[in-house]
Amino acid sequence: MRSRWLMFAITFIAILYFYMRDSLVTTSVIGTAITFGLPLAMAAMVGIMCERTGIVNIGIEGTLLVSSFVGFFTASASGNLILGLISAVAMGAISGLLLSLLAVTWKMDQIIAGTIINILATGLTSFFYKQGHTIPSTFPEVDIPGLSSIPFFGPVLFMHGPLTYAGIILIFVLWVALYKTPWGLRSRAVGEHPSSADTAGVSVIKLRYLNVAIAGAFGGLAGAYLTLELVGSWDRGFSAGKGFTALALMIFGRWNPIGALGAAIFFGTAQAVTNQLMITQVVTIPQQFTNMLPYVLTILILAISAGKVRAPAAEGQPYEKEQA
Amino acid sequence: MKKRIIASLAAVAIATLGFSASPASAADESSCGTAAGFCVGLVTDVGKVDDKSFNQSAWEGAKAVASQLGGFSKYIETLDPKDYASNIDLFATKGYNVIVTVGFLMADATAAAAVKYPNIKFVGVDQYNGSTAANYTGLGFPEDKAGFIVGYLAGYLTKTGKTAAIAGGPNSIPPVRKFIEGFASGVAYAAKEQKKKYPKASTVYYTGANAFNDPAWGASTAAQYLTQGYDVIFAAGGKTGNGGLAKIAKKKGAFCIGVDTDQWNTVPEAQPCLVSSAMKNISAGVIDIVKGIKAGTDKGGNFVGSVGAAPYHALASKVSASIQAKVKAVSAKVIAGTIPTGVKA
Repeated sequence: MRSRWLMFAITFIAILYFYMRDSLVTTSVIGTAITFGLPLAMAAMVGIMCERTGIVNIGIEGTLLVSSFVGFFTASASGNLILGLISAVAMGAISGLLLSLLAVTWKMDQIIAGTIINILATGLTSFFYKQGHTIPSTFPEVDIPGLSSIPFFGPVLFMHGPLTYAGIILIFVLWVALYKTPWGLRSRAVGEHPSSADTAGVSVIKLRYLNVAIAGAFGGLAGAYLTLELVGSWDRGFSAGKGFTALALMIFGRWNPIGALGAAIFFGTAQAVTNQLMITQVVTIPQQFTNMLPYVLTILILAISAGKVRAPAAEGQPYEKEQA
Repeated sequence: MKKRIIASLAAVAIATLGFSASPASAADESSCGTAAGFCVGLVTDVGKVDDKSFNQSAWEGAKAVASQLGGFSKYIETLDPKDYASNIDLFATKGYNVIVTVGFLMADATAAAAVKYPNIKFVGVDQYNGSTAANYTGLGFPEDKAGFIVGYLAGYLTKTGKTAAIAGGPNSIPPVRKFIEGFASGVAYAAKEQKKKYPKASTVYYTGANAFNDPAWGASTAAQYLTQGYDVIFAAGGKTGNGGLAKIAKKKGAFCIGVDTDQWNTVPEAQPCLVSSAMKNISAGVIDIVKGIKAGTDKGGNFVGSVGAAPYHALASKVSASIQAKVKAVSAKVIAGTIPTGVKA
């Protein structure tokens, strides 16, 4: 705990120092860190929600890919971004339900089930992809009145698109739901010891279905953010491995929504700083070394601050009611 | 736990082993290897054949020349660099006459294949043939010249004096490095002409494992540049660059420059900012070489393709007539070599 506060203090002082030296660049770097980190954080939530209830989900990449695809082409065909967003979230939920069907009902090996989703998503989106479609616009930046004029914090936190705000708020909502509500307690119980939860009257199957579907919807939101707010286009292989990075951030954040958000922002900062080293050209370090920065920093922080990391006990095991 | 790791590795292996092949065109694959058949196979680098830039132009060239010559064409998209050789083998064992490989990173695999299959002709796009093999032709481009021309344009268009490039791959890939360094010297040349002191054009090279294939990274990096007042940005690098172009298009007053092909047509979402593209005429180069092979005049070695800047399209109104004239004049001199780009080959 003390090392965590120490890290906060160091980060704060570092940001203050750089802000005094060059406010424009510092603001830009931290703002970009959020742009880099947020889709990873949202994708990590998919993993957290699934694994907390005992389902391993390595199909996040597929969920991102297929939901961004459906979101983009719905928005493109209808000319309506909201419709695109809704369809992306729905598609995400459907991919979650598919995972439940494979892993919960059919009790398939969950790694294979996730792989099926990844392969399906790659195949289907590649097959149906047509070049030359565009969307009328992307979700515009919304400056929150008042808050956005605060120096530093305004541009960093309160000048983003609506899906960024939605993503950040939902991450905190998920944290509250997971730790402070009966639903959260039951979900975690199902992930740790499903037979006890069952004895206490919790429907393991129903809860797993529900949570994996909600998790999928979260992935759909991440996909919609990538295509409808951040980039504004779609290409084959659009998610570019973000679903896998998200899994690592989930572990880095110890299966805790806020932890994973912090991990993602940290990773995003390392990426933005790497970029900045090349942008400002003050120090000409060989590019191969700057390339290592996000990874080296991650290892360092893990070594300093991470204690023992423990996954939910029942993850990966299908639930057999009559087992005992 | 161990089981899980093995399972994950197996899953990753399965996912990367796969490749997608194109549907057949006019002639038939069964004609390959017969005296009458003329078959052109194309193997992409880890990029995609519809990347709206270099893989796509190479494939368009291969497809066009095969149908002009009454032959058959097909492509394989490589998903993992380990598969370069085996993807080439797939075409070679079916008796294809010409195999086109796309991308600098495939040079070694192509040179090896040329030795292994002496009766098949190989064309390497963005590759330099350092061997004496007569059945291997490298198609190279003076990317630095294309980069210089659009850099010169950027040097006249910028209002803040801050110009930048987003590279979709590392600078260890020569075509990437030559585009970027050419761009920077073009900007410097224009600044000197105007007697202005602009900072050297800045560049961010892609740093992850998904070179040329990460649009979200391109967009985020573009955002980072835009918030720091960079107003002319050259996005050079497949889909990564395309993501950057799409992001810049949303910023009022910023210009973006595409790469490889005229991206006005291939990346329509970039049209609000896309003032030009640094073009390599890859299709034309592939067509010329394959025709030479068919006619029996091709002797291997290296073929230098042509480059240039794409037209301004609708943004012509934002580039004054005097700048247009200057770019035209400089462009001719750069291509002729009378203005050196100062970039080493």
